[in-house]
Amino acid sequence: MKIVVCVKQVPATGEQRLDPVTGTVIREGVPSILNPFDAYALEEAVRLKERFGGEIVALSMGVPSAKETLRRALAVGADRAILLSGRAFAGADTLATARALSLAVCKLGGADLVLCGRMATDGDTAQVGPMLAELLGVPHAADVAHIKRVENGRMTIARMTDDGYRCERLPLPALLTVVKEINVPRLPSVTGVLRAARAEATVWDAADIGASPEDVGQRGSRTRVVRTARPEKKAGCRMLGGAAALLTALKAKGDR
Amino acid sequence: MSIVQPYTEAYRNYLFDESRTMGRADYIAFPRNEAELIEAVRFAHDNHVPLTAQGARTGLAGGASPQGGMILNLSRMNRILGIRRDENGRFLLRVQPGVTLIAVRKALRDKNFDVSGWDEESRETLKDVRAGALFFSPDPTEPTASIGGMASCNACGARSFLYGCTRKHVGALRAVLADGRVTALARGRERARGRDFELPCTDGTTLRGRLPDFDTPDIKDAGYLLRADMELIDLFLGSQGTLGVISELELLLLPSPALLCGVTAFFPDDENALQYVCAMKRFDPKPASIEFFDRRALSLVEAQKAETPAFRQLQPLPENYCCAVYVEFNLDEENGLCPVLETLAPVISRSGGDPDDTWVARDELELEKLLLFRHSVPETIDLHVEKNKKNEPEITILSTDMAVDDEHFDALFHLYKRDLEESGLPCLIFGHIGENHVHPNILARNLDEYRRGHALFEKWARDVSQMGGTITAEHGAGKIKRKLALIMYGPEKMRALWALKRQLDPENILGPGNVLTEVEA
Repeated sequence: MKIVVCVKQVPATGEQRLDPVTGTVIREGVPSILNPFDAYALEEAVRLKERFGGEIVALSMGVPSAKETLRRALAVGADRAILLSGRAFAGADTLATARALSLAVCKLGGADLVLCGRMATDGDTAQVGPMLAELLGVPHAADVAHIKRVENGRMTIARMTDDGYRCERLPLPALLTVVKEINVPRLPSVTGVLRAARAEATVWDAADIGASPEDVGQRGSRTRVVRTARPEKKAGCRMLGGAAALLTALKAKGDR
Repeated sequence: MSIVQPYTEAYRNYLFDESRTMGRADYIAFPRNEAELIEAVRFAHDNHVPLTAQGARTGLAGGASPQGGMILNLSRMNRILGIRRDENGRFLLRVQPGVTLIAVRKALRDKNFDVSGWDEESRETLKDVRAGALFFSPDPTEPTASIGGMASCNACGARSFLYGCTRKHVGALRAVLADGRVTALARGRERARGRDFELPCTDGTTLRGRLPDFDTPDIKDAGYLLRADMELIDLFLGSQGTLGVISELELLLLPSPALLCGVTAFFPDDENALQYVCAMKRFDPKPASIEFFDRRALSLVEAQKAETPAFRQLQPLPENYCCAVYVEFNLDEENGLCPVLETLAPVISRSGGDPDDTWVARDELELEKLLLFRHSVPETIDLHVEKNKKNEPEITILSTDMAVDDEHFDALFHLYKRDLEESGLPCLIFGHIGENHVHPNILARNLDEYRRGHALFEKWARDVSQMGGTITAEHGAGKIKRKLALIMYGPEKMRALWALKRQLDPENILGPGNVLTEVEA
């Protein structure tokens, strides 16, 4: 089974700093990590490879330093790593990102399965996975919590929904985005870290994947960030003196 | 209103610590500063009321559990008071004893201090501190421990293999003596002359006395430190509240390492693990900690995953292994991991492990996963003790922290294994193997097992004493290991310790029931 795992380098902090002018995420001065959800996708790929054999390609788009994040993917079991990097890719929205990734998957000769984390912790859009599936023309299932069976070119999975789990079967090739419930990502082994230290991610620019500048990056984007704002934290606590005060407060809330 | 209040049932939670040793009390006080602490001690002194100081009650030996009299709870003395640099450029953080380790760590990590009440020198010094650049190295497994509690029992924890115990990182302290006077001591300043000592008090008086005529073991030890010409600060570090109540400490801070990383390796049997540990003790760079988990410890945590959701984030164990050894490195080089692993891989192979079946934490984030695993072992033990206690209230945690020197450790380890095997008691072994100090734990399910466990501990105390070791390397004797302390010291040395205590605490009001046992003259 040939599996492509899409991974993203994200800032390590939970509190994003936003550029007041462009509205984009400020990445300078914040240490980068592998998007936590992508670690689950990678782990699932490694487990599938352990069962069925095959190859795992870790694919990312980002700044040159994202090579280090890809090295981490290599350490836990990816066989090779591709980084889409270059000026043409800069400022991409979710669609332009998905387009670049789809061209890269095509250049790789396609895949039996593409795995993504359910979303990245910096943008929180959860769009790139499903968009990539559409562009590749393969079926997809989002928020997958369990891969139940893989047989005869079909995959049975359980998706996590608001109301519970939903079992679905889809033919391969396919794309899955996964949630944290799917597994416990492993730490790399000594051998894995040393192997990854000697390996290097292959860097492709727009020309390498046959993308015209109009397809990718800011020029390929169909959305513009107009404004960004941090959601207000509304949690609060009021101390009341006794049950009578509580009743009055509840009543006042009910009257409104 | 007096700082001392009568004890009521509402304070029931202050009767015990993590060891589940239940105590009793007549009074309770929550001082917020040294003046209030002195007021409480004077009350105890004037009314002949024994007092037990307690911090965060995370101790494992019952040291904070009161035996009648007053609970002196220091958890509200939880302020960081200032920071200064000494003549060698080292940073020293001045804290109240009730501040928790985790609070100190967070403040240093984020450079987030409440500086109201700080003097000008401290505020100026703080300007030279970068967030995360300094750290306080003692690392007992429980981060909610209070600094005063850690100092009282000279707590050690995993990283003491590289950095040493709490004692080494306390640069100065103030302690309230039994009569309410305060002594202020600094490392390198006040020393005994031979066995004679003179404690300077802040009111200009002195307290003269004589130390016992013996030396305590020269290994990591949570009890009294006694030497000729010793530094007097050490009298209050490890004496578990029996000689005075610590009211302030100055903590020595170290530059934070550039990279924290670790490797857990698995071995087919204990002998392989011991061989690996031996090699790791001599390994360059020197590890920060070397920790051991036996087969039963690994299986216990694995089984607990079904009941404790937090443990489900623990990685599944590799198959066909018997035990694990965790080694942590604190490196000065940000890119230092790979060179270490290059050297480490053949050592793992030679010791019967497989570099493929290892868990590597490449940074602090990943290290948290290894530490979660490490912490899950005592947590699981706690859950079992709690469960067994429901059937039999007398049951407490049955864990030992005896230690010997390098030469005797193999013999001690095999002794533990043989005795536990023969006893048939439910048990496990884990802990700080780098310092020849593992924690055999017995999970007694009933009174018979509990008593047999105790008997076994007493036997080990005799064995360890003969090897020149200590019955408590890091938890302190507190109340539950008092009997073992008597076995280790013997009646004659015990009498000498009492003589020391009487010089500082003639009315015997400080820390009743801790460490010392009455012996006939």
